[in-house]
Order: sequence, then structure tokens, then C-alpha cells
Amino acid sequence: MDDYTVGVLTNIGLISFIALSAYLLIIAGEMSFGQQGFFGVGAYTAGVATAMYGIPLPVAAGLAMGAGAAAAFLVGLPTLRLRGLYFAMATLAAAEMLRILFELLHFQRDIDGEPVGPDGTQGFRGIRWVFENGVEPAGYLALVWGMLAAVIVLFLLVERSRLGATLRMLGEDPELARMLGVHVERFKLGVAAVAGALAALGGALYAHHNTYIEPRNFDIMLGVHSLAYALIGGLGTVFGPLLGVLVDIGVLEGSRVFQGYRMIVFGGLVAILLIFRPRGLLDERVVNWLKRRFA
Amino acid sequence: MAKAAFCLVLALLSFPAFAQRLQGELDCKPTKTDFIYDCKVKLSRNGQPLSGAQVTVGADMPSMPMAHNVKPVKAKAGKAPGEYEAMLDLEMLGEWAVKLRLAGPVKDQLILLYEFDEKGARPVRRGDKPPRK
Repeated sequence: MDDYTVGVLTNIGLISFIALSAYLLIIAGEMSFGQQGFFGVGAYTAGVATAMYGIPLPVAAGLAMGAGAAAAFLVGLPTLRLRGLYFAMATLAAAEMLRILFELLHFQRDIDGEPVGPDGTQGFRGIRWVFENGVEPAGYLALVWGMLAAVIVLFLLVERSRLGATLRMLGEDPELARMLGVHVERFKLGVAAVAGALAALGGALYAHHNTYIEPRNFDIMLGVHSLAYALIGGLGTVFGPLLGVLVDIGVLEGSRVFQGYRMIVFGGLVAILLIFRPRGLLDERVVNWLKRRFA
Repeated sequence: MAKAAFCLVLALLSFPAFAQRLQGELDCKPTKTDFIYDCKVKLSRNGQPLSGAQVTVGADMPSMPMAHNVKPVKAKAGKAPGEYEAMLDLEMLGEWAVKLRLAGPVKDQLILLYEFDEKGARPVRRGDKPPRK
């Protein structure tokens, strides 16, 4: 595989984590515009862990997931009392607060005569674990997709379980779920924390792929894209968000047919799909049809 | 004493972070084709020009991470020591994080933040601090 293909596939894998994070919240009935904040928390946490304290990437990724889950839990405590548009606005505000915190964060250590660590708007350079450990681009691609495959398998297991049924019921009708004995608030808080951890894992892997992160990486564009991927791809299966990422990054961007007009095409595609297929290409009806056909 | 100093110097030289402290500079001029820039990359290590590296030049937009896949190009060695040349095909004007991926004797990645416009490219300055190369 050439550098370009490896780069495109790595980007598809990395952005899939945040798309899956948004998808998880959507099927639980909440639309978050703030998952990019937890992606950023993961990126900064893992970057600090490896670049400043020499912690290996697997451990750093675990720490990032913990930090992402904790941040999402804390954000969820007040925001999950809200519904619909109000929840969406509150999550966007929380993500912007996190981004501004990253801008104010100056935390550097002198390592080998060079300051290393987050330096506010100047960004955070030198997240070199991958290079210091001789991981080649193809190896990192395998790592990203291996982690993504593990997450997808977990999703598939959950979707086939009682937990998955509860999750979908919660998204469809929270009152019914409450009457059936589900503690709706507690359950949603748990879902928000898991979604935060998932976004943070993506952020940790992104930081080490890029070696440089800055607060602007985690602004609203990333959040809107992650939601759009879930909505384009479909909410019927975990493969929906991946299809959304594939359509945008793989087809629209990868082919470079539309060049600078891609964002206009992408926005139009989202608008058309929201009108004609509000639950995306792979919605529940298509997934059930596919299951009947191939089961 | 001399033996200790020699050991210290040897240890410092063998430490990869010291051996690979990189700096880079970019000089890009627009071509006749929109969004294609003719770029010269100057690389140095510990203040000395870094020649003989295999340099691949890519780019990503900080405001839209992972959403752009600029095709990485292999840079050719330039005329001056530590200089490399590459044609960068961007998708739009604006701020780009130019990624210099180094292989060969030095394995590393350097990110340079530049604002690309119709006149060329200039380093991004944020706040009151000079940009770090």
C-alpha cells in the first residue's frame, strides 16, 4: 500500500471512533454536538502521558479513555436533564468550554533541554511515541483498525444482548423504558460516559498519529462531522457510522472529484438524506431486510 | 575527569532525542494551477543542515482534522545542503499543518503551521509568541 492509501485508511479508522461515539448517543435518544471535546480530552491526556512521562501508548490510551469517560460523566450530570435541542446546545457549549480550556492550558516539562507539553494556542508538539518505538505507518494503521474492530465486535455483542434492546428502547421511548423498570437517567449517564471513553480513545490514537495537536483540532467542525457520519450511514447498525465515514473521507475526499467544493456536496448530501432517509442509509428497515435476506 | 566527560558526551550523542532534534522551514510559491505550490523545505538538526533524509510532505487542516487527505509527495534533494523540494497540491487556501515525515537515517515527523494564500505561504502566528519551528 502506498503512503496515500495508508493515510486515508488511518484517517477513516480514527474518525470512525468519534462517529461511533456520536452514534451510541443517538441510539440512546440523545444528539450530542460535543463529542469532539472528549476526543480532545483523550488526545491531550494520552499525549501528556507518553510525551511528558514516558508512559507506553497502550497504558496512555487507557488513561485517555478514563479521562474521556470522567469528562463525559461530569458533562452528562447537568446536561442529560435537558432534552432535544437544549441537550444538543448544552453539549456544544461544554465542548467549546473544553476547547477554551485547552487554549488556556500551559503545562510543559523540560525534556532533554526542550519544553514538551501543551502550550495553549501554540499547540502540543512532540508526541513521538510512535516514532521512538519504530512503529511504521502500516503498523499504526493495523493498530487503529485492530482497536476499531474490537470496538465494533463489542457493539455487535451489546446490540444482540438485553443491554442493546434496552438502549434502543431508551432511544425510542424513554417513558416506556422507565415503566419497565429502567433507571433512565442513570442508564443515559452510563452511555454518555462510554461514548466519551470511545471518543477519547480515538483522540489518543489521533494525537499519536499526528504527533501534534492544538485546540482548533477539536472545534465544532469535528463534532458536526461525527454526527453527520452517523446520520448519513444509518442508525440501524454499528456499520452505519462507518459507512458515513467511508462516503465522506473515502469516496468524496479520497477521489478528490469535488476538490474544494466537497464540503458543499457533503452538506447537500446530509440535507437530502435527512429529508428522504432521516435515519440514514443503513436504517433499521434496511438492516432488518438484510438480516432476513442473508440470515 | 576526562574519561567521565568523554562518557557523558558519548551518552548525550547516543540519546535519540538529542540526536534527532529537528527544525524545519518552508518557502512555498504558488504555481499557475490553483492550490498547487512549489515548496522548498529547509531542514536542520542541532543547528546543522540535515541532508540525505527521505522526506515525504503531506498536509492536514487543523480546523478540519482527518477530513482532508492531501496526497503526500516525496521531496527531492535541493541545491543547498539540508534543502528539499516538493510540489504540494492542496485542496483550498487557508491554514495548513504541513507534515514532514522523515525516513532513512532520521525517523521523525515535523509539523509546520503555514497560512497558504494566492501569494504563497507564511508561518502562522498565534498570540504574542513567535511560532516554534
